[in-house]
Amino acid sequence: MHRGILILGLVLAVGLAGLWLAGGFGTLERLVEQGQRQMQGTLAGAVRRLRAADPGALMALMAACFSYGFIHAAGPGHGKVLIAGYGVGRRVPLMRLSALALVSSLAQSAVAIALVFAGITALGWTREQMVGVSDRVMTPISYGAILLLGLWLVWRGAGKLLRQRPSAVAPAEADHVHDPHHVHDDHCGHAHGPSLHQVESVSGPRDALALIAGIAIRPCTGALFLLILTWQMGIFGSGIAGVLAMGLGTASVTVAVAGMAVWAREGALASLPGARIAAVLPMLELGAGLVVAVVAGQVLLRSL
Amino acid sequence: MICRWIGVILGLGLASPALAHPHVFVDTVLEVIFDDQGRATALRVSWTYDEYYSLVITEERGLDPDYDGTATVEEAKALAGFDMAWDAGFAGDTYVLMDGVDLPLSRPSDWTAQYEGGKITSTHLRKLAAPIKVLAADLIVQSYDPGYYTAYAIVGTPTMTGAPAGCTIDVFAADPDAADAILQAAIDEQAGSTDVEGAFPAIGAAYSDEARVTCIAAS
Repeated sequence: MHRGILILGLVLAVGLAGLWLAGGFGTLERLVEQGQRQMQGTLAGAVRRLRAADPGALMALMAACFSYGFIHAAGPGHGKVLIAGYGVGRRVPLMRLSALALVSSLAQSAVAIALVFAGITALGWTREQMVGVSDRVMTPISYGAILLLGLWLVWRGAGKLLRQRPSAVAPAEADHVHDPHHVHDDHCGHAHGPSLHQVESVSGPRDALALIAGIAIRPCTGALFLLILTWQMGIFGSGIAGVLAMGLGTASVTVAVAGMAVWAREGALASLPGARIAAVLPMLELGAGLVVAVVAGQVLLRSL
Repeated sequence: MICRWIGVILGLGLASPALAHPHVFVDTVLEVIFDDQGRATALRVSWTYDEYYSLVITEERGLDPDYDGTATVEEAKALAGFDMAWDAGFAGDTYVLMDGVDLPLSRPSDWTAQYEGGKITSTHLRKLAAPIKVLAADLIVQSYDPGYYTAYAIVGTPTMTGAPAGCTIDVFAADPDAADAILQAAIDEQAGSTDVEGAFPAIGAAYSDEARVTCIAAS
C-alpha cells in the first residue's frame, strides 16, 4: 500500500480516539441506543411472525438478527477493545485478524447456543439462571481472559524493549549484516537485538485461542433471549439460525475494527524510517497491551 | 508526562461503564405524591418494557397464547409482581436526591402489571423514608441502572399528586456529552490526588434522565 494512505490510517485512528476521549461520541451513543431500542420491537415482531408461521418470517428474523448484532456491536464493547488492542500491538496480518474477528463473533453465538441447549436439556435451568451464569460467571472469565492477553502483550513488549538495550551498547554487533540464509542459533538470539524478523514473528495459535475465548465466552443476553424464546415456541432451529445471523452482524463491526487497527498500526510504522520500526514495535505492543489490560481489569473488577 | 498517560489510560477504563450495552429497554413514567402538609412522601414508578423483553416474559409464563399482544384481566393479575422480587442488593433503579444527598426509599409495594400492545407495563410505589418539604432545593428523581443492563428513559411529563401551589416538575434528558465532561473532570481530580484507591466517582447518575421538582413559596 502507498505510504501516504497508510499514514492516513494512523491519522484517522488518532483522530477517532481523540474524538472519543473528548466525549464527541456522546451523540453517536445516543443514536446507537435509540437504534437498539427500536430493534427490540423489530425482533419481537419477527419472532411473533415466525411463531405464526408467516411466509418469509425466517428471512425477516435473519435480517432483524443481523441488524441486532450490528447495532449492539456498534456501541463500545469488550470484543472491539481486544481486537483493536491486539491489532495495534502485534504485527498480525489483516486477513488473519479479520478472520479471528469473524471466528470469535461466530464462536460467541456458538457459546450462547451451547449454554441454552445444555441449560435447558441437561441442567433444567430457568432463563434467570442462564442469564445469571452468563453475567456472573462467564462475563468475568471473559474479562479475565482479555486481561491476561493484555498482560501477555505488555510482558512481551517489555521483554523485547529490555533485550534491545545491549544492542545500543554494542553498535558494532547490531550493525552486523545478516546473511539471509544464516541459520539463527541460540547464541545469535542472545548476541543481537531482535531482528525485524523476530519482532514480527507471527502470533501462535495460543494467541488466537485466547483472543477467540476472550470474546466468545461471554454470550450476548439478546441471543440467550432468542434461543430461550424459540425453544419454548418449538422453533429452536430458527433460533439457532437467528443467533448465527447475530454473530455475523457483530462480526461486520469487529472486522471493520480489525481493519482500522491494522491500518493505523501500519500507518504508524510507515511514518517511521525503516530502521526504527524494530525499536517501535515493542513499544506499540507494550502500550496496546497496557490499554487492553487496564480496560479489562477495570470492567473485571466491576463485574465481580 | 507519565502521570498524564496513566490518566489517559485510566480514563479509557473509567469511560467503560458503557462497555456493557443494554439488553432491556424501559420507558419510565413517574408520579410524585405529596401529603396534606405539602411534603413529598412517595413515588409511583411505572415501567413499560420493550416488546422483546415483554415477549420473553409472557412466553415464559404462557401468557397470551394467541399472540394478540394483550392479556386478559386474570392474566395480568398473575403477572403482577413478576419484576418485584428484588435481591437485597438491588436499589430499584430509582433514585431521589435533594441538595446532592440521596434520600432513602422503601422497598416496593402496591404493584400492578398489565400487558397491552405487546408491551408489559408494571407499576410500583416507593415511599420516602422521611417525607420532605421541597422548597430551598429541588427534588430530583433519577431513573437508571448503574450497571447499564437496562436502559431507562423517562417519558412524558411526570405528574404530581397533592403538590402545593407553586410546584412544577420538568424532565431533563441525559446529556451524554455533558456526562462525559463530568466523568473527565472526576478523573482529572483523582489523577491529581494520591488516593488511587479512593472511591470511584459516582458519575453513573450523570448518564440518567431526571425529573426535577421545583417549588416556590406560595405568597
